[in-house]
Amino acid sequence: MSNFKQTQGYKIIENWMAEKNQTPFSFQTQTWERYHNNFSGMVVAPTGFGKTFSVFLAVVIDYFNNQKNYKKGLKLIWVSPLRSLAKDLAKAMNTAVEEIGLDWTVEVRNGDTPTKDRRRQERNMPDVILTTPETLHLLFSQKRNSRWFKNVNCIAVDEWHELLGSKRGVITELAIARIRNLSPKTRIWGISATIGNLEEAKNVLIPYDVKTTMIRAKEKKKIDIISLLPDEVEELSWAGHLGKQMSSKIIPIIYENTTTLIFTNTRNQSELWYQILIEEEPDLIGQIAIHHGSIDKVQRNFIEEAISNGLLKAVVCTSSLDLGVDFKPVDCVIQIGSAKGIARFMQRAGRSGHSPFETSKMYAVPTHSLQLIEVSAVKEAVKQNVIEARQPYVLTYDVLVQFLVTLAVGEGFKADETYELVKEIHAFHYLTKEEFDWCIHFITQGGNTLKAYEEFHKVVLDEDGFYRVKSRRIAMMHRMNIGVIVSEVMLFVKFFSGGYIGMVEEYFISKLKKGDAFILGGRVLEMKQIKDMTVLVKRSKKKKAITPSWMGGRLPLTSYLTHFLRLKLNDALTPNNREKELKFLHPLLKRQEANSHIPKHDEFLVELIETKEGFHLFAYPFEGRLVHEIMASLIAYRISKIAKRTFTIAQNDYGFELLSDQEIPLNEENITEIFSKENLIQDVTVSINASEMASRKFRDIAVVAGLVIQTQPGNRKTNKSLQSSSGLIFRVLNDHEPNNLLLKQAYNEVFDYELEKVRLQSAFKRISKSKIILKRAKNFTPLSFPLKVDSLRGTMSNEDLSKRIERIQKRALK
Amino acid sequence: MTQNSKIVTHKILCNNEVLELTNQRVIFWKSQSSLILSDLHIGKSAHFQKSGIPIPSSILAKDLERLLELIHHFKANELIVVGDLFHASYNSDLDEFKDWLTQFNNLKIKLIKGNHDRLKTIVYEDFGIEVFHKDLQIYSLKFVHDFKKTDKNAFTISGHTHPGVSIKGKGKQRIKLPCFQVTESQLILPAFSLFTGLNTKDCPKNCTNYCFTEDGFFEV
Repeated sequence: MSNFKQTQGYKIIENWMAEKNQTPFSFQTQTWERYHNNFSGMVVAPTGFGKTFSVFLAVVIDYFNNQKNYKKGLKLIWVSPLRSLAKDLAKAMNTAVEEIGLDWTVEVRNGDTPTKDRRRQERNMPDVILTTPETLHLLFSQKRNSRWFKNVNCIAVDEWHELLGSKRGVITELAIARIRNLSPKTRIWGISATIGNLEEAKNVLIPYDVKTTMIRAKEKKKIDIISLLPDEVEELSWAGHLGKQMSSKIIPIIYENTTTLIFTNTRNQSELWYQILIEEEPDLIGQIAIHHGSIDKVQRNFIEEAISNGLLKAVVCTSSLDLGVDFKPVDCVIQIGSAKGIARFMQRAGRSGHSPFETSKMYAVPTHSLQLIEVSAVKEAVKQNVIEARQPYVLTYDVLVQFLVTLAVGEGFKADETYELVKEIHAFHYLTKEEFDWCIHFITQGGNTLKAYEEFHKVVLDEDGFYRVKSRRIAMMHRMNIGVIVSEVMLFVKFFSGGYIGMVEEYFISKLKKGDAFILGGRVLEMKQIKDMTVLVKRSKKKKAITPSWMGGRLPLTSYLTHFLRLKLNDALTPNNREKELKFLHPLLKRQEANSHIPKHDEFLVELIETKEGFHLFAYPFEGRLVHEIMASLIAYRISKIAKRTFTIAQNDYGFELLSDQEIPLNEENITEIFSKENLIQDVTVSINASEMASRKFRDIAVVAGLVIQTQPGNRKTNKSLQSSSGLIFRVLNDHEPNNLLLKQAYNEVFDYELEKVRLQSAFKRISKSKIILKRAKNFTPLSFPLKVDSLRGTMSNEDLSKRIERIQKRALK
Repeated sequence: MTQNSKIVTHKILCNNEVLELTNQRVIFWKSQSSLILSDLHIGKSAHFQKSGIPIPSSILAKDLERLLELIHHFKANELIVVGDLFHASYNSDLDEFKDWLTQFNNLKIKLIKGNHDRLKTIVYEDFGIEVFHKDLQIYSLKFVHDFKKTDKNAFTISGHTHPGVSIKGKGKQRIKLPCFQVTESQLILPAFSLFTGLNTKDCPKNCTNYCFTEDGFFEV
């Protein structure tokens, strides 16, 4: 350390900080020194503690100390998952560079960069560029692009934990591999928030034979989790309700704080809550805004700036504000409903009280009673410092195919060299030569390995051994489709008089008739006309309007959270004094115990309830929605082997329901076998239509691999004669080319991600060790009620639903 | 279609003409020994390939194999194609189709031009196809590509929309099937090619959907 502290570079930075009355955090100096000693690595620190400067200044210091190693052009490539972060980061870096007295230029390059600036950058690259993984790949698709990357000293990947668990992680890995290939001395640094598998995260980012290190900040963010409780337990609906009655408790909180972010889980809920809040407190109009991914970008930027400038009291938002720029005025966060995971909960909490040593304040607003147990579970997890892991994707052939074409569009590539290149990264470590050859074959001759497609010449092998794209049209189409973020077909929503409001899914609009009213961005709109992928609307005065539902964003509970949930339920009947949530729920839990049972941590509860509707089976594995969906069809399948039955299936994050019009032949004798872990995967494969789920998975794969051309919203030119659905291509390939690797990938993804095979197996293992308790009840129990309501959802309109819930609830309370 | 797949028919009466709907996406008109079909989209896979999207070439071969089997099965001597015979510009798929045509001695083909049929008339002549630009009337049946309005004097047979039905069941089940849409005055054919999507949204007023599977027909 002492040696490093004597260096000129360190002294410059130390002085610069001293002038601003700052001293570096110890993790920052540690990073600088390791960087100085030629390490690559990963920095783990909470937001607000200057993790950006830990890596950025490391490069600056190294520059001062070893100027001979730095050439003209790109020195540092700063990759971040969000475009919105780049602008403010660049500003901060530019200020630093200026004050320190460096002659560096720091610039942003991403989808928002104007063409003029791009051309200028291409002639003369800045010293530091802030960009996204997709933009890097776009640069790779330019002619003579490797000259830009010849002298890169460092690639920094910000918010690596966000990229890791998605295919964007894979394209980041590929981008690093190529840049490292062009400048072998590049150091790779990641910046991550705490996740469950940090060591793995580091190894995925830096799979190379270089010195690596992990630097963890000792500084901890303090989080205050406060649950908002209604006055009595009955006031809080058992399930399904938005928790509307809680709005009166939220308003005072908004007034007590400077700026409050109100997180909801779906865009649909954010629209509804925005309406609820302005209805409850009309004075807030003008001081409260709504922000989600389907609201027009200009509008969103405007809102974000308004938050930064302290002009808003509250913003109702979705995960759209999970990440991004630090909003200084935000001093309070409210989470409505479940955050679905510990990491997400903490991430959101961290959006308030941004400066170091300030405490983040998070109010949890349950939308039904059982969510209170969840709050208590999250608190426990935070206390024990347990947080989810992010699983990296592997063997994503679609991404590989896209990458190969990208290279072919750019400078062309040689097969052998490229195989060595991709094999080095984590995602393709187990890629075989046969699979790689298949991908080459796929982009040069089509899919069928026996017969070439006559008219297919996407990528051509030149005589000099390079694979290249010759057609300008194909090159252009490919550039437009680079990336792995696949969205539903979206339509722009625009006023007749001009002015964009946002986007809705085509699926939603297709159900509307002309003149129908719907809500978007907090406004009631009347649909007038659809033209060129744009919905033309005008303001509506109608009181009743439909809120769009967006397909995305319905996440299941993570297994970490469900683990704590089971523990809390175990203690539920005997809560200790500090467990405010559990104590509050006590009357409800007592009723559950009286009518049925509360499962202890080594028990598994199944309820059989007979009502007018029919015969219900409720089971509570507490494993999250996705696992329950599979379990439900599996159990339905096993029961129907005993006697033919048709079941209606419902599931939520706590359990699942099977409903039949005939008695369910389940009893104390056969229940162990029905829930047995034997033949698990075989039975699952039979019970679910794997091919249907694979077809859904194939949607993204088809787009990433370039089989389906995405239409951009508002784009007038649609390639009409090239339109086809991924479902159609899936079917065609299944019939004609069952060996297609992309199909194989779709099936793999079903089993690895959708089915969460491991989680399913461990769930059944746990059940097999548990005591299975079968209870028969006359009425819905507090545990079964939320499920009952969830299953009503699909068929009934909102209004009837509340009435019906009320009625059922009354009956259950008798 | 493979050799062992069944041809199931369902007879209906339209303006006193007996039409046999088949589960192989064609109609057999016995009195004329004609097969009526629509939306073959020949050249679609090659068109995709040209644009860098690898779609198997064998799609066309399978479509044609199925058509051949139908021609033999019904001993048809005429095809009435109500549009979208060819998908886009001339490509190798069309050559394959031309080769395929040489096996017949006197198979007549009548085409009512669809929105996709944009090749020059001379090309169609070269294939020996008789082209009708707007419509064609034979007895009381009128053939058009895209149905626009009811004709008082004729029963209209069209294609274009690729009709399908979505059948919803309990437990969020949903099955989509191709169908013939039939009303008192019109009939819409399903698309013949298997490389086509289904449109389950549009449906004429008071129409009966005759959907079919590998083994049979049912009405929705």
